[in-house]
Amino acid sequence: MLADQTTADLASSPLETGRPEARSGFAARLFRSPGGIIGLAIIALLVILAVFADSLAPFSPTRMGAGRRLLEPSWRHLAGTDEFGRDMFSRIVHGARLTLKIGAIAVGISLAAGLTIGLIAAYARGIVEAVLMRLSDVLFSFTETLIALACVAVLGPSLENAMVAVGLAGIPYYARTAYASALVEVSKPYFEAAIAAGAGPVRLVLLHLLPNILPTMVVVATLGLSSAILAAAGLSFLGLGAQPPAPEWGAMLSAGRDFFNRAPWLMLYPGLSIALVVLAFNLLGDAMREALDPRGAD
Amino acid sequence: MWQFIGRRVALGVLTIFITTVAVTLLIHLVPGDPVQIMYAQSQGTTPEQIEQIRTSLGLDRSIPEQYVRFVGRLLEGDLGVTVRGRQPVLDLLLQRLPNTLALAFSAMAVAAVLGLPLGFLAAYRRGTMLDTALMTLAIAGVSVPHFWLGLLLLFAFAVELQWLPVAGTGPLNLVLPALTLGLSNAAIVARMTRSSMIDVMSQDFVRTAHAKGLPKAMVLERHVLRAGLVPIITMAGLQFAAMMGGAIVVENIFAWNGVGRLAIEAIFQRDYPMIQGFILVFATVVVVMSILLDVVYALVDPRIRRG
Amino acid sequence: MKQSIRKALVSAAATILLGGIAPAASARDIVWARYGDMDTLDPHRATSTLSLQVWSLVYDTLLAVDATGKPVPNVARSWTTSTDGTEYTFKLNEGVVCHDGTPLDANDVKYTVDRAFDTSNPSLTKASWGPVTSVEVIDPLTVTIKLDKPFVALVPFLADSFSSIICDSSKDAPGFGSTAAIGSGPWKFVSWTKGDRIVLTGNTSYRNFGKLAENKGAPYMEGLVITTVPEPQARLAGLKTGAIQIAEPPLDDVPALKQSGDLKIVIAGNTGQNVFWEFAVHRPPFNDPRARRAVAHATDAAAAIDLIYGDLSLPEKCPISRGVFGNDQEFCARHGQSYDPEKARALLAELGYGPDKPLEVTMIAWTGGKRDKLAEVFQSQLAEVGITARIEIMDIGTMNARVRQENEKRDGIGSLDMMTWSWFDPDILYALWHSPGAYRGYTSSELDAMLEKTRVLSDQAEREAAVRDVMAYLLENAIHVPLYTPGWEWVFAVRPEVTGFKVAPFVYPVFNDVRF
Repeated sequence: MLADQTTADLASSPLETGRPEARSGFAARLFRSPGGIIGLAIIALLVILAVFADSLAPFSPTRMGAGRRLLEPSWRHLAGTDEFGRDMFSRIVHGARLTLKIGAIAVGISLAAGLTIGLIAAYARGIVEAVLMRLSDVLFSFTETLIALACVAVLGPSLENAMVAVGLAGIPYYARTAYASALVEVSKPYFEAAIAAGAGPVRLVLLHLLPNILPTMVVVATLGLSSAILAAAGLSFLGLGAQPPAPEWGAMLSAGRDFFNRAPWLMLYPGLSIALVVLAFNLLGDAMREALDPRGAD
Repeated sequence: MWQFIGRRVALGVLTIFITTVAVTLLIHLVPGDPVQIMYAQSQGTTPEQIEQIRTSLGLDRSIPEQYVRFVGRLLEGDLGVTVRGRQPVLDLLLQRLPNTLALAFSAMAVAAVLGLPLGFLAAYRRGTMLDTALMTLAIAGVSVPHFWLGLLLLFAFAVELQWLPVAGTGPLNLVLPALTLGLSNAAIVARMTRSSMIDVMSQDFVRTAHAKGLPKAMVLERHVLRAGLVPIITMAGLQFAAMMGGAIVVENIFAWNGVGRLAIEAIFQRDYPMIQGFILVFATVVVVMSILLDVVYALVDPRIRRG
Repeated sequence: MKQSIRKALVSAAATILLGGIAPAASARDIVWARYGDMDTLDPHRATSTLSLQVWSLVYDTLLAVDATGKPVPNVARSWTTSTDGTEYTFKLNEGVVCHDGTPLDANDVKYTVDRAFDTSNPSLTKASWGPVTSVEVIDPLTVTIKLDKPFVALVPFLADSFSSIICDSSKDAPGFGSTAAIGSGPWKFVSWTKGDRIVLTGNTSYRNFGKLAENKGAPYMEGLVITTVPEPQARLAGLKTGAIQIAEPPLDDVPALKQSGDLKIVIAGNTGQNVFWEFAVHRPPFNDPRARRAVAHATDAAAAIDLIYGDLSLPEKCPISRGVFGNDQEFCARHGQSYDPEKARALLAELGYGPDKPLEVTMIAWTGGKRDKLAEVFQSQLAEVGITARIEIMDIGTMNARVRQENEKRDGIGSLDMMTWSWFDPDILYALWHSPGAYRGYTSSELDAMLEKTRVLSDQAEREAAVRDVMAYLLENAIHVPLYTPGWEWVFAVRPEVTGFKVAPFVYPVFNDVRF
């Protein structure tokens, strides 16, 4: 869901990342960009919340209490409580873990499958290339939303299925990008030299192609994390993803809308959390792209 | 030119063909017995009825046979009937499709009206505070989930301020969904416009034009704008597809009566004939519209013909 | 198809340029907003409350119910039963006119019943008509329904909209069920935009013989527009601005609304709705009555309802709810399991479950009406005694199918579900629990015999005793564990200037008396 917008944004042409000079000073350039630093900081916070959720959350994310319903944010309940009397701050903290997991699994699926398809197509050429890439074009034109919805329709609503759906929906985009980047590498002298030196296909792909397109793919995956998180939250918002009592942000936001009048914090914090995390990955992805490809940087 | 159109159309035909295959297979991928899932409503369907339904859906035949049957019926404009209420699927989808298209196009219009000038402004004032501010706004705009933005707009303008109606399918009802979908997309358009304009401004012909002493406004209008818009307009097809995808969610927030709401309902109801019909109609609309946009663009801009 | 696509495109352009052209409701129209839409206008093709409510406006029924839910004459001015209980003869009122102008007579009744039993496409609720063998038209105003065996629940069924009389001219109406519906009810069908609105207009030749309305003639208002507005807060906003006159408010706002008096709150009584636990009984753990009783003892329905619905709903002790023949709270409380987590833990320990070995189950519930929230509360109550429940929320149609699948599965983790049924007669228990069982769940020859008795005893006291026997059996064995009533679409908020709105038993809103 929604994923289309952020990925469509990334230029579909491959980045010129094969040049060693582009990679030197990458970290320095990354840290010079305020966006990159802010993005990294938010992501670091997210990781800390996710890893130490059990000790950082003051209450259980699922424990209900009739006497604590819809309490306003206070020192005791930093983000208030929901209609069941559950502590919203604790739920948001535990939600960070789910969010990271969702992003990692969905992007993992897209990246693994996309890389495999893209590399095989670029290396094999001929009929294999034609079939794989036309298929990717076809799937790409379906839009990620449609693919994700179709997957959920087949598999049924659950958080696991939503992750798989978002992961599958992303494959065509990753495949196209991997393919385009690999094509650039294949035409370079070093690659031809490697062929001339008698390197086998596995060696060529794994030792030459893969490492050289990896930087591009890492940028794509970073930006992809933002769209995957957004997409999965969208599915959960529609009730097609996480099921209760999972403290998933999209589902929490959806549950909170009934209380818009009486407890606006129920809608505010989960929405803000999603927006911040998505923003963080977008900022970091942008900064990484510019750091890798200084041409475009200011 | 014709070669370009031919290739686009061929890809479109291939896409629709693959959709029909996927849609036929879809029902076989469902864990469990889809007929049971779909029809065991109310007071229990008898085994004979289940068999009858299986036969009427053609599920007792081989998959290739089913495919031929499906396409045959499709060509007659028959996509079957829904499980809930036995309504013709295609009629329901076509009744609502105009609403979804209206939403997608209005959102594109919002995105263009806001995104193009702001992106251009950012490029023109590149490196200034204004540029930074606009681009910060844009990245924030891309990051705000539109289901959240939609709810906030709904509660603010329809529920609290009551400036806009909360229900129905009138022109005023379109305002909020179109804004919701359009705003996040305006951010994308602004970002694309900016980078495209910057590319163009740094190109030789623009520098030459400046060097020739042409007035700045004239350079902008004659060269930068026209050349800079090219990559943005080529994205129109993709933008349209993204708007259609986004519409599915936004329709559900605002109860805008389009195909997206039908689709989500159908998923909850395991109404497979409706899900199949939706996928087919949605994919077809996206493919056909993208081809039309590309072809129109190719007619306008001769340079694409090489592509 | 090509043409219709072109039409769709042209229409999209028109929508953009001119704005949607949904007919605006006039000042003489009632606007009633609901969270969802009906499935069809064909009374034989759906079972949802959303559909039934619309049918009750467009169609008439032979009988109607009074405020207590008891069947009374309506289109049929009287009826007689043969001594062996297998023939019901109805005398129809003169002057009932179908919406197409033809008089409603015995042939329309015959058409309807024959249609429900059409072998190639029977009604979804065919079984509830009972063992009907034939319908005979004696004269235009006399009709006899013949049965294979006695079936006392036929009379209450004929008062419900499942038995809506379809005028036989519908046979030739193209698009019957979606673009056409010919009945004789107080409102005539005009148009239906699925997912958006149903437009009805007052039937000026309507005569009310038995419906729960003071008005004996046509409805006072010109039209009735039933719109779909899923977001509760949006419905409330519509009510406040006056764009909507009647709607279900957000349940959490009801106390505040009552207090401020901005809107009138109408709560339907005698809904017949029963929300209950039932279990997949053909595999462990719920094949053992102790496991089922443990769930019943762990469930604090009163606390859960209080948390989610406040005072809008009540715990229910019987498998058939208040307002239905045979309901008796005290009797049922004696035979059911009270909230007692200690007993639940003890039963679980007997079965070998404990803190180190929680019982893992799936809990299935139906979307909407805050039932998902209630399921979450129950989930946490069960967790207290060491039952880990994984909630699955689904549409009611899907849930019906799923529950049946769960009963047919012989392995896998245990499954329980929050089933919901609304019926006007204890015959629902027959539909649910007589072999083979609506969901292929618990059945026994002992229970079958008890249920069969409830269908044939025409003496009220004898039938009541038989119904009680069935209830005691279901409760003691924790087969049907009642939770609460009512459970869906039973709260209405009405604008202050609107008078005469009432809700008949089994949640049928009546608009005949509405004026503003």
